Amino acid sequence: MFNKFIQILENKFVPLASKLGSQRHLLSIRDGFISIMPLAIIGSLAILINNFPIVYYQEYMSSLFGTEWTLFSDYIYNGTFAIMSLLIVFSISYNLADSYNEDPLLAALISFSSFIITIIQTDAQGFSIPFQWLDASGLLVAIVVAILATEIYVKTMNLISSKKKQEKGTMTPILNRYFSALIPTIFIFLIFSLMRLVFAQFGIENIIEEIYRLIQLPLMGLANNLLTALVIVFIGHFFWFLGLHGTNILEPVIQALYLPALQENIQAVSNNLAVPNIFTKPFFDSFVYMGGSGTTLSLLIVIYLFSNSKRKRDLMKLSSTQSIFNINEPILYGLPIVMNPIYFIPFILTPLILTLTSYLAILTGFVPKTIAMVPWGTPPIISGFLITGSISGSLLQVFNIFIGILIYFPFVKIAERIKE
Amino acid sequence: MENVVLVCTAGMSTSILVSKMNKIAAENEIEINIEALAQSELKNYSKKIDLILLGPQVKYLLNNLERDYKNSEIKFDVIDSVQYGTLNGKAVLNHALTLLDKKVI
Repeated sequence: MFNKFIQILENKFVPLASKLGSQRHLLSIRDGFISIMPLAIIGSLAILINNFPIVYYQEYMSSLFGTEWTLFSDYIYNGTFAIMSLLIVFSISYNLADSYNEDPLLAALISFSSFIITIIQTDAQGFSIPFQWLDASGLLVAIVVAILATEIYVKTMNLISSKKKQEKGTMTPILNRYFSALIPTIFIFLIFSLMRLVFAQFGIENIIEEIYRLIQLPLMGLANNLLTALVIVFIGHFFWFLGLHGTNILEPVIQALYLPALQENIQAVSNNLAVPNIFTKPFFDSFVYMGGSGTTLSLLIVIYLFSNSKRKRDLMKLSSTQSIFNINEPILYGLPIVMNPIYFIPFILTPLILTLTSYLAILTGFVPKTIAMVPWGTPPIISGFLITGSISGSLLQVFNIFIGILIYFPFVKIAERIKE
Repeated sequence: MENVVLVCTAGMSTSILVSKMNKIAAENEIEINIEALAQSELKNYSKKIDLILLGPQVKYLLNNLERDYKNSEIKFDVIDSVQYGTLNGKAVLNHALTLLDKKVI
């Protein structure tokens, strides 16, 4: 009966997940975010270094480097996280153009200019760029401009090159390429400049602010809600159960919603304000996906402590090092968990429960909200400390791993009984 | 020498499998070069590729490979999920050799 159930799931959801996972624009958004990850991580850690909530540490640093010591990290933050939208417009456009085999650098440069054209302001000193809107608040505009400008660029370049093929050019290829880009570029800049003017006609001077208020803010409010978090965790693991990389398929959405949430938190910390958001990207990576999707670190510990099956123990040894760095494909396919009716419940239930426990731990104030980001491969316990700046973050991870053990334990036993 | 790349999301989970495959290939004196790549690295990979093997978790990228490599010499396929999960280097190597029309071991 369960096989039939899986068959239905496979027929219904695998095509959908495949479509999502291979969609060109979603892929370029995801790769765009991945490209700027090193900058984002360093920018967030810079602020964490400034704001460790330990008085002694703060005094020590001031005595060592003078009271201005935090400026050092502030500068780094301002050049990375604080201009995330500028970075994103470039990197998404680059990845999208690359997927079309068009010159990615040229496309990225054009998109970058288009973004500036769209957001430029006039003030008493002349023209200016609104720095405070270049952080995550400008993300939605950045993504739209990047995709729009790149699409127009690619389409018009195709049009031109199909015409060009009939008449053979005599210019050297690289010159030829940049000359033929002139017309698309003018065309794109005209569109964005015109759009800017039209918005101004309707009294909208700051497009980012308007879009942020009307669309991005409500979206983020929706995202920072327990139910949404649970749904996202559920879908990711449901796809994984079908054998597809669920968290990777959802990555564009997760990045676009939960990275800005983290940025708001970082901003608040550095301004000594109350930290607003519970759900952020590191929240899921570090408190829930320990050992990888499905919190399989707990499962490995259950196998280590209680399983006599040689096959399971071999698999555990094989994959334990990877698991510490939150990589678990060998377990998912080797145990297997994928399409395995016995592990369906704990694999999906554990991360859902841990999302809930982590949410409650933060809501009640036992654990501070996340204020920094680490690479997703950072081992648990270390990562919990780093993303919250508090040892209670690590304690929550230990607690969560323990809850995971309790959930997985009976199912490992059931699996072994069935084998016998 | 044939060049085979194994692709997954970050190139990390396949790397162990790749080192196993290379070891078995060396033991059997098979001339083949196998590497692990992240999906985003594939596009700008500079060496000549003869075969792309996708990790089962990214089998949905098959559509994109068909789009990009349909008219090229490059072959592509998805790795069997059980062979992948058990890190069965020999089986995956044989899979690759078969696709490359070479003698299996």
